Amino acid sequence: MSADFELLRNVTIGQYIPAESPVHHMDPRAKLLATLFVGLAIASTRSIAASLILLGVLMLVTRVAQLDISYVLRGLLPGLGALLFIFAFQFLFQGPNVPCTELFFKWRFIQISPCLIYILVLGAVRVVAFLFLVSLLTLTTTASHLTHASEMLLTPFQRIGLPAHEMALANMIALRFIPTLADELDRIMKAQASRGADIGERRWWRPDKMVRERMPLFVPLFVNSLRRAEELVVAMEARAYIGGKGRTKFVTFTSRVSDWVVVALTALLWIAAMRLPWAAWENALFGIHWQP
Amino acid sequence: MTISTRSIVVAGILIAISSVLALTGLGYFPVPNVTSEATVMQVPAIIGGILEGPVVGVIVGMVFGLNALLRFSGLPIFAGQPAWMPFVVLFLPRLLIGVTAWLTYVGLKRTNEIFALGAAAVVGTLTNTVVVIGLGILFGILPVAIIPTVLPQAAFESVVAAVLTIAVVAAWKSIDRGKGGSSV
Repeated sequence: MSADFELLRNVTIGQYIPAESPVHHMDPRAKLLATLFVGLAIASTRSIAASLILLGVLMLVTRVAQLDISYVLRGLLPGLGALLFIFAFQFLFQGPNVPCTELFFKWRFIQISPCLIYILVLGAVRVVAFLFLVSLLTLTTTASHLTHASEMLLTPFQRIGLPAHEMALANMIALRFIPTLADELDRIMKAQASRGADIGERRWWRPDKMVRERMPLFVPLFVNSLRRAEELVVAMEARAYIGGKGRTKFVTFTSRVSDWVVVALTALLWIAAMRLPWAAWENALFGIHWQP
Repeated sequence: MTISTRSIVVAGILIAISSVLALTGLGYFPVPNVTSEATVMQVPAIIGGILEGPVVGVIVGMVFGLNALLRFSGLPIFAGQPAWMPFVVLFLPRLLIGVTAWLTYVGLKRTNEIFALGAAAVVGTLTNTVVVIGLGILFGILPVAIIPTVLPQAAFESVVAAVLTIAVVAAWKSIDRGKGGSSV
């Protein structure tokens, strides 16, 4: 029962792990851009081989960052049930939407082809690669550095009306309050359980019951959070907070040439994932010709 | 563009709620169809739009969009599609939730405030479902046959969002007038 209250136990994304590694010491702005390019590379490629190479590179960087690969993989656990369900659904019903010259099995609308299996394996590799990518960024960079870096990268877009500073401040407030609200949620769950609520009952096949179980958590969570917001607004206005133009920054970053070399390399990785003839290479080396 | 301190803080708190719901998985309910999950993750964006206007709605909706992008962009339906496809189908529609909810609330609040809150929640939720599924069908990554399987989910999400939005905003506004109750 106590495990039902430890909701954040298997959440690895977003937890900074301090270490003395080149990845940790990289300029957060460069790290964000590099993450963007590798993310585009993973999303662009239609080849399992290219996706596996990208996953291998990410695993290598994970080791360089002195992080445990099994710890990163634990991040799959919270969404594993939903992921397996989606893959099973796609396996059974996506067949007719995937044109293929070969067919393993056909019964009514269920069509299992090598092209479908190729797409499913590609999807699975992409899910793991994205997990490693996001974990690498958040496990090696503090949340405040990420926020400041994103603000600095978005500053040029202020000219077209993007409220970069305000968005960064909202993110900073969110980062400050996530642990507080997680504690608050824990407290509400225990309070409702002590009043006889069915907290922690595993009835995933009855979404209506799950809603009735969670509604007594959601309403106080929202209302108490809005009350905290009100207190913070009063505190900020009492201190004459004025955002936007002319504010100086307490946090500044210094970058080295090597940081931007890494960004350039990841941009090349993106171009390689998009432009190189991966399908022809897979066909020549392994006889695989089922790429989408 | 100038945004008030109150709007920034409310946006920050709603982003924090969104993140907690996403990280704990409490914002998602398993359902037996292709999406596999019904959600209440749109509710912070709807409440942001209602309480502080469209800009806050868009900023809070971004978190839902990013979360959807991280959760679902690796799915098989996006394999073989251009890199921008998950961004357009999963991220952009979530920015509209707070805007349509705000427009509905502003348009209807003079008739009956509770009705306006419920309608804003339903319109915000349907904006999410209709635009995501519509773009999926438009770009050919989802079959038209998916529509009947998504309808019960859309109805379920709309009812949950309406109940939650009315409960939270009505409670919040009464607290604002000094009629507080139990804190948990």
